[in-house]
Amino acid sequence: MGPLIPNEIIPYEWNNIIAILIGIAFGFVLESSGFSSSRKLAGVFYGYDFAVLKVFFTAAVTAAIGLYYMDYLGYVNLGELYVQPTYLWGGIIGGAIMGVGFISAGFCPGTALTAVAIGKIDAIVYIVGIMIGVFIFAEAYSIFQPLYEGSYLGNITVVDYFGANPYWFIFGLTVVAVLAFFVTDIIRRRVKKVFY
Amino acid sequence: MSTNKLITPRYLFLSALIIVLAGGLVLLPKFEKQEGIAPELLLSNAISPERYISTDELADRIISNDPSILLIDVRDEASFNENTLPNSVNIPLDQLLNEDFEGYLDQAEYDVILFSNDSFKADQAWILCNRLDYKNLHVLKGGINEWFNTIINPKKPSENMPQTEYNLYSFRKAASMYFGVMYVDQVKKPDSKKAYVAPKKTTTTPKVVVPKKKKKKMPVEGGC
Repeated sequence: MGPLIPNEIIPYEWNNIIAILIGIAFGFVLESSGFSSSRKLAGVFYGYDFAVLKVFFTAAVTAAIGLYYMDYLGYVNLGELYVQPTYLWGGIIGGAIMGVGFISAGFCPGTALTAVAIGKIDAIVYIVGIMIGVFIFAEAYSIFQPLYEGSYLGNITVVDYFGANPYWFIFGLTVVAVLAFFVTDIIRRRVKKVFY
Repeated sequence: MSTNKLITPRYLFLSALIIVLAGGLVLLPKFEKQEGIAPELLLSNAISPERYISTDELADRIISNDPSILLIDVRDEASFNENTLPNSVNIPLDQLLNEDFEGYLDQAEYDVILFSNDSFKADQAWILCNRLDYKNLHVLKGGINEWFNTIINPKKPSENMPQTEYNLYSFRKAASMYFGVMYVDQVKKPDSKKAYVAPKKTTTTPKVVVPKKKKKKMPVEGGC
């Protein structure tokens, strides 16, 4: 939990409790902002609602800016943050499969769970589909293993890989994000309205 | 959601805010972040008993030709040329961070033993090197003065002292002979045909001969 536990402001045992509280809050906000609706989520692919793009882009940019300010002020050591390891082709192919599932079902795994929580039947079907997929993957793991563990690049970030200046990179990303927000807003106004 | 106005003031404000914040990151004056180990770790190193090595232990290791010790004299060059411990390397405290000497200090093979006249300068060198996360650093407790008082010129225990004191004394006396001190009672053996000449002045002050060695040649390692 951010700068609080490593700096011993609150004890380590609070980790799981805080995680549950954040999870509940996250699910509540997802649901209340309409993210349990597959029509809203799928809107980003059809051009009538870009809330998904805006939310995730804003989250990434806000978190990056916040983390770098905290690193600058010495509350967080960026070098100690966990970086997800990169398996290049596994990531690309898995991302493509995830995208197809996202378009066809209108959920990502997290939002599907919030939709299950409010009793949506399509979300329940979607979760069952995830379970089947997990089962197939686990049973046929030896087939997928070379892809799953291949093209390993280590725990790298974009900044590490390209040797870029992180501050300029974040600034550029922010500008791109804001431009994307306005461009998608223009697209949204031109596309036929869908009521959902 | 169904606003027809492209740029609402609210959006404009938030967009401007986020760009200003990101721009602030770029424009912030950059400073060198604290290098080296965290203060907590430094403290735990500082209070660790392994920080100091006693003169007796050092003498024992020198006499047994322990290859894993590396003696570093942090006094200035004049003092080093005057007297020092055998096989020591001179790295004056003011040149401690000189890149030429990094290979001696920043390595994992040797037990580095820092010493000065007393422990004071060696302690300072120890702190500096420890902050840079150098390993296996020790300070000779009491420095050369303590070395002289215990190894070179050991004090004879009085008769009411325990046996351990006598054992320690005999060890120190033997060690001092190893380091070149001559004792009257040892030299004056009647059947001695060696060319040893007993000192003319038969005072109890032993003569100190501290052998001086050149700098040890050692490949410079580490540094990245």
